[in-house]
Amino acid sequence: MPRYELSLILKAMQRPETAATLRRTVETLMERGAVVRGLENLGERLLPYKITKHNQRHSRGSYFLVDFYASPNILTGLLNHLHRDVDVVRPTVLKKDDRVPSGFAAPIQEMHCVKLPSWTLFS
Amino acid sequence: MFQVIGGRSVQASRLLAPRSAVLVEAVRGRKSRTDPVAKSKEGRIKTPPPVDPVEMVVLKERFSEYQLLMKSLRMAFKEEVLRKKYEEETGSRAEERAREEEEEHRALMALNDQENLRMLRLRILRVQEQAEKAQRKKLKVLLKQEQGQQKFLKEKEKEILQLQEDAKNFITLENLDQRIEEALDNPKNYNFAIDKEGQVVKQTILQ
Repeated sequence: MPRYELSLILKAMQRPETAATLRRTVETLMERGAVVRGLENLGERLLPYKITKHNQRHSRGSYFLVDFYASPNILTGLLNHLHRDVDVVRPTVLKKDDRVPSGFAAPIQEMHCVKLPSWTLFS
Repeated sequence: MFQVIGGRSVQASRLLAPRSAVLVEAVRGRKSRTDPVAKSKEGRIKTPPPVDPVEMVVLKERFSEYQLLMKSLRMAFKEEVLRKKYEEETGSRAEERAREEEEEHRALMALNDQENLRMLRLRILRVQEQAEKAQRKKLKVLLKQEQGQQKFLKEKEKEILQLQEDAKNFITLENLDQRIEEALDNPKNYNFAIDKEGQVVKQTILQ
């Protein structure tokens, strides 16, 4: 099964609400037949620009990464669902490639190959 | 009235010693059998050329002698030819020659057989060697294929084992809450800075 990565930007909320949203999301994934491998938190930070979603203007958000194995058929449905979720500011599903693309030098020190959307890295 | 003749229909004597320049003979040309005789030829009586008896006798004698000689010569030559032929077939030398030829033939056949045998043996050896070589090559190829397959299988097994190991860390419904708490407690930072010397700086400000 191909391996995907859901980079999720959630509304800046209190901890229990964030936990509930995450739980909801992961359960949705598992209902659709995905196998969730891991969950990572990239912290709550200032968004690079103000995003309007669900009639709300967001300037801060919490970034999460969910990597999972799933069939490609579920992706459209999943994205639809996530767009409709009020607490989710921006969902993005990316494919995870095991091979390092050619043309990159061998890492001198530890380098992470996870592809984040460029706008999340520097702020 | 006169027609020119030549070629094979003419006697040799007429060809070789002709009376006139052109060889002609009489032929019914203009007039047919039923036509009346011409006026100028009415009282003509054809007489054969006169013959001198003395000359006749002499000529006859000479001719007969000449013909006798020629015939005898011809017969003699014919006989010689026939005798030679007969001798060749059934003469004294014929048997010896036949025997020699047969011996030679047998010797040559024996040589030929020997050669054939020798070539046969060489060929058999050569063919055997080639067959063995081919067999060895096939075995090698098979072996290589087997090895390749084994390698592939091993790699796949390794991958599977790796995945099984990883699977213990996957999130399930029971783990879910625990994992969420864990994740919320440990924010991870993937940002880093690197300079031209290759020094990596992991400490960055996370807002």
